[in-house]
Amino acid sequence: MLRLLLTRLLRLLPVTWGIVSVFFLLSRALPDDQLLARAIESQLDTGSRAITAPQRQALELQLRRRLGLDKPVFYFSIQRSATGGQSHWRWHGLRNQYHLWWLDVVRGELGRSYRDNKPVASLLIETLRFTLPFTAAAAFLAIGAALWLSLWMTRHSRWRSYLLTILYSLDALPLFVVALVLLYLLANPDMLALFPVYGFDNPEPTDTWLANVGSYLHHLALPVFSLVLITLPGLVTQLDASLQHELQTAYAVTARAKGLAFRQVVRHHTLRNALLPVVALVTDLLPAMVAGAVVVEVIFALPGMGRLLADAAAARDYPVLQGSVLLIASVRLLSHIVADGLYWQLDPRLRSQL
Amino acid sequence: MSFSSYFSNRRKLVALGWLAFLLLVAALADWLPLPYAPGDSDLTHLSEPPFTALAASRHWLGTDPLGRDLLAGLVFGARTTLIISIPAALLAVGVGILLGSAAGFWGNTSLRVSLGHCFGVGGLLLTGFLSIFRLWPAPELAWPLTATSFALVSLLATRHVELLQRVTLTFPVDQLVMSAIALLESIPRLILVLVIASVQESSVFTLLLVLSLTYWTGPARLIRAEVMRIRALPYIEAVRATGLTNMSILIYHVLPNASRSVRTAFPLSIAALIGLETTLSFLGIGLPTEIASWGRLMATARLDSAAWWLIVEPGLLLLGTMLALRQLARPDEHTGK
Repeated sequence: MLRLLLTRLLRLLPVTWGIVSVFFLLSRALPDDQLLARAIESQLDTGSRAITAPQRQALELQLRRRLGLDKPVFYFSIQRSATGGQSHWRWHGLRNQYHLWWLDVVRGELGRSYRDNKPVASLLIETLRFTLPFTAAAAFLAIGAALWLSLWMTRHSRWRSYLLTILYSLDALPLFVVALVLLYLLANPDMLALFPVYGFDNPEPTDTWLANVGSYLHHLALPVFSLVLITLPGLVTQLDASLQHELQTAYAVTARAKGLAFRQVVRHHTLRNALLPVVALVTDLLPAMVAGAVVVEVIFALPGMGRLLADAAAARDYPVLQGSVLLIASVRLLSHIVADGLYWQLDPRLRSQL
Repeated sequence: MSFSSYFSNRRKLVALGWLAFLLLVAALADWLPLPYAPGDSDLTHLSEPPFTALAASRHWLGTDPLGRDLLAGLVFGARTTLIISIPAALLAVGVGILLGSAAGFWGNTSLRVSLGHCFGVGGLLLTGFLSIFRLWPAPELAWPLTATSFALVSLLATRHVELLQRVTLTFPVDQLVMSAIALLESIPRLILVLVIASVQESSVFTLLLVLSLTYWTGPARLIRAEVMRIRALPYIEAVRATGLTNMSILIYHVLPNASRSVRTAFPLSIAALIGLETTLSFLGIGLPTEIASWGRLMATARLDSAAWWLIVEPGLLLLGTMLALRQLARPDEHTGK
């Protein structure tokens, strides 16, 4: 088992390295003049103070040096001469942005945000402390609801087709539409103001912890609900299909024939086998939730990692983007390994194949 | 699936009709008699609800909080969506079929390329790459390298050079394609597209490229699995016995059967790409701000909490289009499959 997981890890590590490297080089291929201009403007605390051109140049040079942008991007570079044909290939050695960035990553340094100069690692941890409980809650709720619904559908076959149709049309909509509709219907002073529109209350020191928890849940209800709604159709249809398939197998018929109640056949016999194909879906759930969190957190203005990512993408804040890509790719890698381990545990037939 | 079986199904007919209408409106967007242009702000009619239009204002479907006409936005948004999602889906499916079928057909061991072909094709690719991007370290090398590669390839085509043909290398196509797929799928697609689109200049063409280069993995997986299944069937063995080359077996005998699943899933690919495009525009990434889009239209709904029409109208259009596309991909009810 351990050997299997180790070989998987060794095989998936290059993939993570590859995607992060590709992204690093893509992001540095774009001219950074605009970005620097914006950074300089944000650094000049008084907007009205005008600076002369040489001053500005000096500031730009200083900023470049501080952000490490004065060094070459990669181990070698190709410069095209202006006159045509000829171009120069130059070797830069190890003092380049790419090499230094990886050295920093190995040491646990992810650089600093271009926007507010905060360390990326602490930004990520800060936002993850919000996003992780939120997405995990949504994932657990979605799995629980999917199990309950598909079990319920085995007993009420008359409602099954209606429910599947509803889920089918729900699945057709992108997440942002679902979230917007929920926001419009349930958190709108002009319609039903059951839930807060967005954001979070700062916890008052005078409040009891119960009130704090209540307010937290109240604010998270709609975002979690929309995430659950969007993941539910895939889970339910898959689980329902495999349950229906298992119920028609010979062993299920035998179990029924020996006098077990239908409920017992489902709970103890078919459900266990039907869960197997769903494991792959479930391990894909957490990364999907992170992607969903981008949309939901933007719509409900929640201070999580998704919004950090969307804001960084809109502002081209590369260090933050690179840190998030690295983080998400590693989480995905881990979830693949967890899936393999789960399969190994759940299905002894696979042990000889893996 | 023939046309008559399409039309025998009423639901599919409705779906097809809706999509045809949408395509027609999108194609004729520039010539339709719309009272307003999509980007124009009408400052005297901000957030006007639909169907209350007086003869003077003529905003039939209402306006957004910036005073832009919703009807024009919806029509031009449909054009943007279709102009991006259909070519992107075609490109993605094309790349997916190419790479997936190669990976499934040759696997890791059976594509044996002679050394001469390796050098020849490698040299041609290198010269092509370097000339397209004009990256020659020494331009005087350009012609000799191209000429040598051409000579090698054509020499081998005549099968006279024994030595270069006898030495062969196995080319692990499957491993290469599968690791490319793993690379692209190591990050959720929305985040991948978001991040790549954010480091590129925003334009319709870039977004199209980014979408198709991240979406081909799904079709490629489908095709690869099908080709691997079909490769082992008896009829392929029979074809092989007749002495056809690998290439023609793949193109004329394997692919027509293997690509069926991808062809049926093609509307689903378009639907997924429409979903991605609208989500990206909603987040304000990927498309330049002056281009009308359903996602951007819905984003303006957050400026005015009373404006239900900003959510309902694009939302219904989106829902109808998605459902229609899914209906097309559904197996026919008459034939059962």
